[in-house]
Amino acid sequence: MSGLYIHIPFCKRKCRYCDFVSFPDFASEDIYFVALIAEMRKYAPLMRGRGFGTVFIGGGTPTCLKPGRIAAMLDEARKCFDIAPDAEITSEANPESASEEKLAELFEAGVNRLSIGLQSANDLELARIGRIHSRADFERALAFARRAGFTNINADVMHGLPGQTCESYLNTLRFVTELDIPHISSYALILEEGTPLYGAVKEGREELPDPDETADMEDAGFAFLAENGYGRYEISNFAKPSFECRHNLNYWDNGEYLGIGLNSHSALRLKGEWTRFCNTAVLSEYVSELGEGKLPVRDTRRIERDEEMFESIMLGLRKTEGISRADFEARFGVDPVTHYAPAVSELELDGRLIVTEERMYLTGAGLDFQNEALIKFMES
Amino acid sequence: MAFPKELIRNFCIIAHIDHGKSTLADRLMQLTQTVAERDMEEQLLDSMDIERERGITIKSTAVRMFYTARDGKEYMLNLIDTPGHVDFTYEVSRALAACEGAVLVVDATQGIEAQTLANVYLALDNDLEIIPVINKIDLVSADPENAIHEIEDIIGLPAEDAPKISAKTGLNVEEVLERIVTDIPAPKGDSEAPLKALIFDSLYDNYMGALSYVRVMEGTVRPGDRIRFMHSGSEFDVTEVGVFNPSRLPVRELTAGEVGYISASIKSVAETKVGDTITLANNPAKEPLHGYKQANPMVFCGIYPADGADYEALKEALDKLILNDASISYEPETSQALGYGFRCGFLGLLHMEIAEERLEREFDLDLVTTAPSVIYRVVMLDGSVRMIDNPSNLPSPMEIQRMEEPMVMAHIMTPPEFVGSIMELCQEKRGFFLDMTYLEENRVKLSYRMPLNEIIFDFFDGLKSRSRGYASFDYELGEYEQSDLVKLDFLLNGDMCDALSTIVHRDKAYAKGRAVAEKLQEVIPRQQFEIPIQAAIGGKIIARETVRAVRKDVLAKCYGGDITRKKKLLEKQKEGKKRMRQVGTVSVPSDAFMSVLRIN
Repeated sequence: MSGLYIHIPFCKRKCRYCDFVSFPDFASEDIYFVALIAEMRKYAPLMRGRGFGTVFIGGGTPTCLKPGRIAAMLDEARKCFDIAPDAEITSEANPESASEEKLAELFEAGVNRLSIGLQSANDLELARIGRIHSRADFERALAFARRAGFTNINADVMHGLPGQTCESYLNTLRFVTELDIPHISSYALILEEGTPLYGAVKEGREELPDPDETADMEDAGFAFLAENGYGRYEISNFAKPSFECRHNLNYWDNGEYLGIGLNSHSALRLKGEWTRFCNTAVLSEYVSELGEGKLPVRDTRRIERDEEMFESIMLGLRKTEGISRADFEARFGVDPVTHYAPAVSELELDGRLIVTEERMYLTGAGLDFQNEALIKFMES
Repeated sequence: MAFPKELIRNFCIIAHIDHGKSTLADRLMQLTQTVAERDMEEQLLDSMDIERERGITIKSTAVRMFYTARDGKEYMLNLIDTPGHVDFTYEVSRALAACEGAVLVVDATQGIEAQTLANVYLALDNDLEIIPVINKIDLVSADPENAIHEIEDIIGLPAEDAPKISAKTGLNVEEVLERIVTDIPAPKGDSEAPLKALIFDSLYDNYMGALSYVRVMEGTVRPGDRIRFMHSGSEFDVTEVGVFNPSRLPVRELTAGEVGYISASIKSVAETKVGDTITLANNPAKEPLHGYKQANPMVFCGIYPADGADYEALKEALDKLILNDASISYEPETSQALGYGFRCGFLGLLHMEIAEERLEREFDLDLVTTAPSVIYRVVMLDGSVRMIDNPSNLPSPMEIQRMEEPMVMAHIMTPPEFVGSIMELCQEKRGFFLDMTYLEENRVKLSYRMPLNEIIFDFFDGLKSRSRGYASFDYELGEYEQSDLVKLDFLLNGDMCDALSTIVHRDKAYAKGRAVAEKLQEVIPRQQFEIPIQAAIGGKIIARETVRAVRKDVLAKCYGGDITRKKKLLEKQKEGKKRMRQVGTVSVPSDAFMSVLRIN
């Protein structure tokens, strides 16, 4: 089954660390959706015979759109694509715009998983990274979500934020676990070039915790989540049993997905060839090309088998259960353990990788240095 | 038929960097229609990119121009260009020896600088007629009267009727041509006498081999002649002689008074040494022209490829580089930290920097360079002497009776307000104060005896920053002197890194050790274990820093299915790994070796 990603590039205000394609240009909302629907229709014949097991509406902030927008969009998606009746349909939401009506509408429209951007339960930390909601806004949004019928809920949190301490990060996690949210994504803040936060840090106007403090937060926080019944199933993702995100698991299994919307990415096997491409990141190009009946595709790349194999390693080793040797062999005709023998034996020897009859996966120490492990695979 | 000798003028231009030498040369060529306007590349004489970017001339070149003077006669003017830096004093002196006169260009906004002065003295030593010219008078800040005073006071040349020009706009440049014709004497020399041709430069051409750029002092040379290089003793058959207009133009002969090139299928410029005298094998001159000396490298450093796999490419590049510059020496050396590379010798620091830049630019190489070193004279206990140009080869202190280092005489010219801080700098650099003279109200000349090893690091930069760019500097080599020198080593996680070893004065070892250790702590990336960095003299640790262990990789998120970023990040890290050198257990980025050179 394939995944379907739909990008909503609108936000009330851009967060200081964010480098996604999003902007507060609501004047373009109508025209954007005309184009988005045109894009889905354009893909419809190409996707015939392909089943979609998951849909992910990401952003941006999908909850800041006009009423009825998401429902109309999902209706159209169902017309264009073969979306399984039991599909996992996720929408991202931000606390400040996740009103009672909005969340009810999403649920009505068939969204059955909600991913709420909390980032921190400390209002001062939130302000410093330019979030426009409070801890209380999140609590309210969560109550609305549950009232609307959502049970499959994720909270995004971050560590390594300006002003954050180990204690305050643990308070955030405690807050989320006590609210009994079944899925938590906890990412370390990455300072992306070109963001306001990046500029502030470079100019010394803002300071991040040093890498050791961030590592301490991570160790303490992840231990806390484990104690509270959240399984780490991917480097940064934790879930109560059976609440793992199927859409993301498809990415990490190096599965096929179609991206719709501005700057969305796709990976599809086309005429037998593994192919990656993305859409333009420029709104005017996106709109005008679809207006002319063209797909606004950029950077189409046919991926060679060796690279496809490495992608499977790179993505698969993000998961704590790692890679299924049989699945890998079924896809590529080789056992990853023999194909990458030098890297595998070196990492095994260092206690970073475990190989069983069925699988190979990184240990905790291996996940701490995943990049280094991957470079060994690249070189072997 | 030879051009009448009395209508030939051989001259050069003496100027400080940026004072407009190349621009003036361009204007002279334009005015004499030597180059069509449309062919005119800015500052044509400087043919190498690096020269053009740095605004300095490294290799001298020559140009022949024809000029019809106000007296109605057509003159042949040979402009011999000279390199404008302290490292190339000997080359300058040979170029000057090939001329009868010099145009001294002084920037009306800046006055005379130390190197200009040094070159003027060289010109006077060679009995050249000097024509002062005040340039850049089009600039608002120009003060031609002051420049005239400086020329008269400092050099002692009458300058009240010096042409006041703007090479940039062309204003009064014709006046310079007239003065060349009227003031500079025609060359002497007998075209029937045995051949004496002075080599003032050489150049390697891919098709013709090494060319000698010569001024014929006596006699005549033609294709087919068998010539002899009087100092090297080697003989060749002339295949072509020619002149520069400004590209090479073959002619039937070169005779006394003329400037041109001789091609004789010579394989390397090492055979055509600047200052050597060319004569005819079957009718040789009795003795060579005086003034020849072998140019010896003064500054040495290790040059290694940043990626060890490029060793062969580096070797080929060096082979090609010395085809054109015989003053560079190199031999293979091995460093535990850097692997296979070369020990290279240069005339001076600028010469070294230019060679490195050429290797990187023209041959597309990434290099790692070790700290420059001078040649130390080490007297062993048994009285034997060893010359050491690589700190790693310094014998154990137990075997050494004493060490000596080369000294230089440094002359610094500066406006008086910077004297204090410049004296401080010289003191820091272990200089012995010799003399201070007011050349005139606004210009002081300081003389110091200083160790060469102190000026090859950052003396020049220090001088510029302490004088807001106004001070200029020149040096000549002096004797070796005994000195209390020690070898400073650096250990990374307990393993000595030979590429970082330097020889320093004992009094400076602590400060230097601390500064380098701190710098290394900054530039060595954190690794999965803690790395102690130690500075040591002999077995004694004098400074210590620590690079803390890294706990985790950056955990990049996979952005809504965008995995290309993550792949790019990994590719970058993999490339970065190639540029790492292993010192024992520690991975050190190639750049780290360079960055420790830049410590104040």
